[in-house]
Amino acid sequence: MRKHILFLLALALTVSFRASAQSFLKNSQVNGSFQTDAQYYMLDPGIDINDLYGKKFGINGFGKVNYTNGDFSAGLRFEAFLPELNGFREELKGVGVPNFFATYDNGFIGMTVGDIYDQFGSGLVFRSYEEWSLGMDNALRGARIVLRPTKGVTLKAVYGRQRYYWAPYLDRNMSFDDYRGIVRGVDGEWNLNQSIPALNDSKFRMSIGGSFVSKKQEDQSLFYYIPENVGAAAARINLGYGNWAFSTEYAYKINDPSAINNYIYKEGQALLASLSYSQKGFGAVLQVKRVDNMSFKSMYTALQNDLDINFIPPINHTHTHSLPSMYTYSTQPNGEMAAQLQVNYTIPKGTALGGKYGTKLAFNMSQVNDIVRDSVMDNGHMVINRPGSLGYTSKFFAISDHRFFRDINFEIDKKISKDWHVTAQYINLYYDIETIEGHAGAPPVKANIAFADVTYKINRKQSIRLEIQGLWEAEVHKGYEYEESEKKDYQKRGDWAAALLEYTISPHWSFSIADKWNYGNPVAEFRDHYFTGNVTFVHEATRVMLSAGRQSEGVVCVGGVCRTVPASSGVTLTVSTSF
Amino acid sequence: MKKLSLIFATLALMFFAMGCDKIDINNTHKPYEPISGNKTVLIKDFTGARCVNCPEAAETVHEMQYLLGEDRIFILSVHAGFLAQPMGNFPDFLTEEGTIWYNNHDSNPLFSVDHVALTDGNTLSVEQIGVPVLEALEEVQLFDIETYATYDETSRHMDVKNYFYPMGDGDGKYYATVCLVEDSIVGWQTIPGGVDKEYVFRNVFRGTLNGVNGQLVSSGPFYVDDVFTSTCSIEIDSTYNADQCYVLTYIYDYDNGKIMHTVMEKIK
Repeated sequence: MRKHILFLLALALTVSFRASAQSFLKNSQVNGSFQTDAQYYMLDPGIDINDLYGKKFGINGFGKVNYTNGDFSAGLRFEAFLPELNGFREELKGVGVPNFFATYDNGFIGMTVGDIYDQFGSGLVFRSYEEWSLGMDNALRGARIVLRPTKGVTLKAVYGRQRYYWAPYLDRNMSFDDYRGIVRGVDGEWNLNQSIPALNDSKFRMSIGGSFVSKKQEDQSLFYYIPENVGAAAARINLGYGNWAFSTEYAYKINDPSAINNYIYKEGQALLASLSYSQKGFGAVLQVKRVDNMSFKSMYTALQNDLDINFIPPINHTHTHSLPSMYTYSTQPNGEMAAQLQVNYTIPKGTALGGKYGTKLAFNMSQVNDIVRDSVMDNGHMVINRPGSLGYTSKFFAISDHRFFRDINFEIDKKISKDWHVTAQYINLYYDIETIEGHAGAPPVKANIAFADVTYKINRKQSIRLEIQGLWEAEVHKGYEYEESEKKDYQKRGDWAAALLEYTISPHWSFSIADKWNYGNPVAEFRDHYFTGNVTFVHEATRVMLSAGRQSEGVVCVGGVCRTVPASSGVTLTVSTSF
Repeated sequence: MKKLSLIFATLALMFFAMGCDKIDINNTHKPYEPISGNKTVLIKDFTGARCVNCPEAAETVHEMQYLLGEDRIFILSVHAGFLAQPMGNFPDFLTEEGTIWYNNHDSNPLFSVDHVALTDGNTLSVEQIGVPVLEALEEVQLFDIETYATYDETSRHMDVKNYFYPMGDGDGKYYATVCLVEDSIVGWQTIPGGVDKEYVFRNVFRGTLNGVNGQLVSSGPFYVDDVFTSTCSIEIDSTYNADQCYVLTYIYDYDNGKIMHTVMEKIK
C-alpha cells in the first residue's frame, strides 16, 4: 500500500512538473535581430582616394536575442567591429558581448540588472541609448528600479557606470584618462488623468514630472578642483485640451567643468517647449529651445559624443533625400537658441486642388542661433570662457546674431492617380559649416535645394521610382579665395545634381542606380560623380542589400548627434534579419 | 505600498543632498607646491590660426604656465599644418622649421613636451601634457644656459651669444637651437562660433637663428667645469615688433631630440 502511495505521489509530481514545464515553455518568447554591414574599400583617384592606409575591409555587426517569460525578460547583444567601417571611431574595434540584462516587472515593481537603456522626460538630464548607425552606445551598466505605487504614478531610480567602447567597468586604467564616474538618477511622473477618476475621460490632460541625476567622478585634475558630485535636475509638465497640446521641460545643472566647456564653472540650463494643435487634415507644432552649457558627461575629460548622460533633442526637420540631408544640423551643447514651426495641411479629396485622393502640404521652418555670452571678472581681467573661471554670463532670452542654421522648406505630397504618386520639396538652407563641421574659415552654406520623387505603379507587383534633386549654392563662387591647402574645406561645396532610378518587384526585389554630381564645386578637381548601384532582396524579415560605387564625404546625424563620413569607394553588403 | 513610496522618497531626498558639490568660484585652482630645482620645460604648441580648438588649448597651456611658474615653463607657438596655412585675412605664421618639426601630422592643436619635433610617443593632446610637464620639471638639470642678445635698432641686426654650463659630468652629442619669438601679435583666429578678428597670438615662433637642427654644443664626454659657447645672428624682419621679440634657446640630445633645458630672454 505504501509503495502505491509513493508511486502515485511520484506520478502526481511528475505530471505536475511536466504540466508546469509545458506551461513555462508555452509562455516563453524569444526574439532577436542580426545585422552585418561590410564594406570593401577600393582606391579611387577620381575622388582623391589614393591610399587606403592598409584598410581594405571594414565590418560592423551585431546580434541580439531577447527572452521573455511572463514578468521576466532577459537579453544580450553581441557586437563585432573587425575592423570598424570608415567613419566610425577606432575605439570600437573589437568583438564581444557589451550588453546584457535581466528584468522582472510585475506591474507594481520592476527591477533590471545589467545594461540599462532609459530616458527621463525628454532626456535633458538623462538618456541612455544605443544608435547603431552612429556607433554610439551609452548604456548604463548597473541596476534600475521602477515603482508604480498607484495608478498614474511612476517612480524610477537608476544606478551604474556607462559603456565606454570596450573599456572594462572595473579595474579602469587611469593612465588612459578613464575617469568614468557613476551615474545615479531618480525620476517621478504623475499622470493626473490616470490617477483621478474624474479626469479619466476628460478633454483636459495633464502630467507632471521631475528628475534628478548626479554623477560621482574622481577628481584627477592637476590644476583645478573638479566637483566630484555634479547634479542636474529637471521639471516637466504636459498639458492638453482637446486638439491642443503643450509640453515643456526645464533643466538645471550645477558647476561641471569639463573638456567640452573648457573647464569653466558656470551652471548649465536648458529649456524645451512645444505647442501643438491638430485636427483632421491640419496640424501645427511650434517648438522653442534654449541650451546653455548643458553638456553632461560621466567623465569630465570626454570629448565628442562619448559618455553623454543627457540628450538635447534637436528641433529641426529631418530630411531623408540625399542632397537635403548632406547638411544636417548637429546640436551644440555649449549654447544654442532654436525655434521650429511645422504646419501640415491636407487639401480634402474631391476639391479642385485636392483631386480624387487629396493633397498633402507641409511647411517647416527652423532656425538655430548662438546664445549671447558676456565676459566675467577673473583675476582682475574681464574674460570669456577662461578655464578655471565662471566662463561667462548669459541673458536667458538674448539671442546672438551668430546664426548656426536655418532651414525653410515646403513639401507637396500628391497621389495623382491609382498608378502615380509625386512628392516634391523646396528647401532654403543656411548652414554654418565652420561651427557645425569644423571647416575653419569656410563660408557658410547658403543653398536652395529642390527635389521631385515620382513613383509609377506598373502593375500590382512592379513599380518604378525616380528621384531628381538639385542643390544650388551660388554664393560660394563669389568673393571667396582659396588656396591649394584649403581645398579640403570645399570638398562637397557648390552645386549638385542627383538622380535615382529604382525598380521594385514586390515583395522581394529592388534594383536602383543613382548618381550625385558635384558639378558646381568651386574647386574644379572636385566636380566628381558619385554613382552607386544597389540590389536589395527582402524575404519576410530578412533583408540583403548589395551596393557598389562611391560615397561622398558628409555627416550622418540621428537626433542631432552626428558622425563624419569620409568619402569612399567600393562594395557594401548589408544583411539584416529578425525573428 | 505607502512604506515603499516613503522609502523611495527618503532615499531620493538623501540623494539630492549628496549629489551636488559646489566649487567656490574664487577657489577653483589647486594649490601648487613648487617643484624644486631649476630645470625648465619647453612646450611646443603646434597650432593654426584657422584651428577652432587651438585658442582653448593655448589658454589651458598658459594657465598651466601661470600655475607652475613662468620661469619654469616656456611655450613656443609653432604654426604648422593644414589649419595654419594662410587664407584671406588669417595671418601667415608658417616657418620652414616649424613645418619640419610638425612632421606631417594632420591636426591641431598638438603638443610636444621637451622634444624638438612631433615624433612617435612625443605627440600629445592638450589633455595629455599635464603629467609629462610635471615629470620633466622633476628631471635632473644637465645644463644651464645664459643668453646674451645684442640688438641694433637701426639695422635691426641682432647677435646672440649663448653659454652652456654642464651641471655634472656626462657624455653625448648635444645641439642648441636659437629661436626668434614674437609675442602678442593681433590678428584673425578662428574660435568656436566664428572668427576673433582681434585675437592676441602669444609666443609666435618666427624661425631659428641657427637652422632647424641648431648648432653643435658638445660631442663626447663633458665635465662639470666645462663651458661651451655658441654665437649666431639675424636681421629681424621689419614687420616684426622688436619690442615684443624674444630669443629662446634650448639644448637637446641630438640622438633622441629630447630637450634638456630652455631659456628665453627679451631682445630689448
